[in-house]
Amino acid sequence: MNRIVAPNYSQPESLTIQFPQEIKLANGVQLFWMKDVKDDSVKLDVEWCAGSKYQSKKLVANFTNKLILSGNDNQSGPVIAEKIDFFGGYFQHEIDRDHAGVVLYGLRDNMGEIFEIFTEAFASVAFPKDQFEKERSIASMSFKIESKKVKNLCQRRFNRAIFGERSVYGQSAEESDFESIKSEDLRAFYESNYTNAMPTIFMVGNVDEVFIEQLKTWAESFQPKPVDYTTGETQQEKGRIDNIAVEDAVQSAIRVGRLMFNKTHPDYFGFQLLNTILGGYFGSRLMANIREDKGYTYGIGSDVSVMEDAAYFIISTEVGIDVREETIREIFNEIERLQTELVSDEELLKVKNYLLGDFLRHADGPIAMMENFKNIHFNQLPRTYYTDFIHSIHETTAEELQGLAVKYLQRDDLTVVTAG
Amino acid sequence: MINYEEFRLDNGLKVIFHQDKTTPLAVVNVLYDVGARDEDEQRTGFAHLFEHLMFGGSKNIPNFDTPLQMAGGECNAFTSNDITNYYNTLPAQNIETAFWLESDRMLELAFTPKSLEVQRGVVIEEFKQRYLNQPYGDVWLNFRPLIYKSHPYKWATIGKEIEHIEKATMDDVKRFFFKHYSPQNAILVVGGNVELNDVKALAEKWFGPIPPREKYVRNIPAEPLQTEARELIIERDVPSDAFYMAFRMGNRTSDDHYIGDLCSDIIAGSKSSRLYNRLIVEEKKFTSISSYITGSLEDGLFLISGHLNKETTFEEAEAIIWEELNQIKSEMMDPNELTKVKNKHKTSKVFSEQSLLNRVMNIAFYENMGQLDEINNVLAHYDDISAQDIQDFSQRIFAPNKQTVLKVKTK
Repeated sequence: MNRIVAPNYSQPESLTIQFPQEIKLANGVQLFWMKDVKDDSVKLDVEWCAGSKYQSKKLVANFTNKLILSGNDNQSGPVIAEKIDFFGGYFQHEIDRDHAGVVLYGLRDNMGEIFEIFTEAFASVAFPKDQFEKERSIASMSFKIESKKVKNLCQRRFNRAIFGERSVYGQSAEESDFESIKSEDLRAFYESNYTNAMPTIFMVGNVDEVFIEQLKTWAESFQPKPVDYTTGETQQEKGRIDNIAVEDAVQSAIRVGRLMFNKTHPDYFGFQLLNTILGGYFGSRLMANIREDKGYTYGIGSDVSVMEDAAYFIISTEVGIDVREETIREIFNEIERLQTELVSDEELLKVKNYLLGDFLRHADGPIAMMENFKNIHFNQLPRTYYTDFIHSIHETTAEELQGLAVKYLQRDDLTVVTAG
Repeated sequence: MINYEEFRLDNGLKVIFHQDKTTPLAVVNVLYDVGARDEDEQRTGFAHLFEHLMFGGSKNIPNFDTPLQMAGGECNAFTSNDITNYYNTLPAQNIETAFWLESDRMLELAFTPKSLEVQRGVVIEEFKQRYLNQPYGDVWLNFRPLIYKSHPYKWATIGKEIEHIEKATMDDVKRFFFKHYSPQNAILVVGGNVELNDVKALAEKWFGPIPPREKYVRNIPAEPLQTEARELIIERDVPSDAFYMAFRMGNRTSDDHYIGDLCSDIIAGSKSSRLYNRLIVEEKKFTSISSYITGSLEDGLFLISGHLNKETTFEEAEAIIWEELNQIKSEMMDPNELTKVKNKHKTSKVFSEQSLLNRVMNIAFYENMGQLDEINNVLAHYDDISAQDIQDFSQRIFAPNKQTVLKVKTK
């Protein structure tokens, strides 16, 4: 037997992508349903345009979301939690810059009860002072703990540098913000961005018609008004930012990045491929150099992060304090190599094959398929997005990648932030 | 219901196959029955460092990751105090690539000095990132040796100290490999959209020729019974005081495991649990509280931990926790409370079994415990537990002279 030669392999011929069924309601609410599920699980995800970009005061979106099931004088938050638990349900609060909502998990037999507990609690929430104080104390402690970590100090400064202080994307909370929010702020945000706004529902589960009717009845009760927001002016602070000194730190966090385009830009697919080569997987150049050759870090990676109104490219790592400058030099060396040398045929093939396998891993099962669909839905992408992506990756040449590296990764366009 | 077929190769390697025709993927998982508990006390952190070296090239293949990525695959691994587990996920038609790679590193590693030098550096940075450079990161480094006095669970998987990792030599690496990485000490589990006959043929082809090695027989000193309360206070630059309380309990295969699991859910496992309601919602003495069991293969632990509010003293915190523990010991619980935690288990089990990788890993764990035939009886175990069982467990486990407490005080 020859152990030196690799066995034959082939690429999956096609990627099966399933889309949910759409149920449109008269009031414009959309309900997406993936019903081809082989077990009894039900995942119900209800989202609103209630992410942090909609708030006019820091932390309001977050606290409103956290306290959305906090109860009222007749039924307290703990009683609601107790009821959901009793039916074997789980609920999870979800929030990012753009959206916020609740995810409910349960089994088919009990999902009707779990959903009813949720809708009643949602409709009658009074943001009781007691629950509000509890959440304030939890959140402010957790903020203090997170603020001790070099990676968070670095990321906050990075956001401010990339987007600028006037942009909602550049701002982050400070300790004093926890003191200035009030229960009334939450009430107002709940009315403008939840009860008088439009939910979008994503459900994965083999539920019956009775449950669908229950969902529809609830969804039809909304009389949505438009919600508005301003993101503020974006201005990137380029170049090296002063190090954030952290006493006693044994590692430094490093962030390097720039503003980027969104998923509909013609260079998006190509740049994603370039990003994968640079820092998007375990075999990437940054991992090969900084971790697997030099042993400076436990991990280094790069990513393109896309929100509804903004996007950025970021390289992130934590390294020993003494090798911080050397690591930054090596990051720029790797970028320069992409600009001056063509990626070899073998490396290009490896990355393309890896990415195809990755598409399969991220489309395995109905919950994963729904996540892919949410990406298409919220970013207003065509339904052919994933097949276009695969097609485009196949077509991209080494010359094009070099061109993208020259166009988008100029040293002068990048921001460098360090902490620790 | 998890289906499986099992067989054994002549060299002693146990192989288990789990078919799933609904996925385009396959998982190849190799569990080695070696963890930090098998280390020399003067050379801790070695099992985990060794896991890193398993990716540094084998006898016939200079690099593990590249050929796997070429075949669209991805891999990772983890080490615990009990086991070391490696897994590969790839398109089902390319499964042979994973057989080739995993079998070559079971046959023999490349043992390159460069790989040892680099991975020592990587693991030291991992040590700093996870255990030194964040608040409360070193809690378990301090807590383990307080709880365990003889058993090797007294050190963390990452190791006692960075110096142990710095001292690792190539001789140590070789000795460790030939001692622990033999076919008789491993379990191969293959899952996904493949056929049993193909798995049998591939296992024979790639793993069959690996010679059996001397079987390692574990001989670990038992941890003596704890008869006195223990306490350690450490001062750190952290935002709030933190409290950790441990009680020893039965191991992963004992009834204690299932009863302790439900008991921890009742005490502080969710937002409707007893301590959460009292300490966070009603009295606001804590900003976080949790309770869980370690599920270790030998000598398990029951844990309660949380962060104190600024105004709360350790004395108050301890008194309230003991009030609740005494209550669960003395008063039979409402049957609804027990039904609630059982129902939550049912839901989480269904969700966790959706993932092919989870199912495959679970098969490997159960086989390693010698309980593969129990894998589909887990919910029945939980269902059988009565309020009386929980009360008996509490009376036996929660004794003041068997508690170990670690307090992290703000500087």
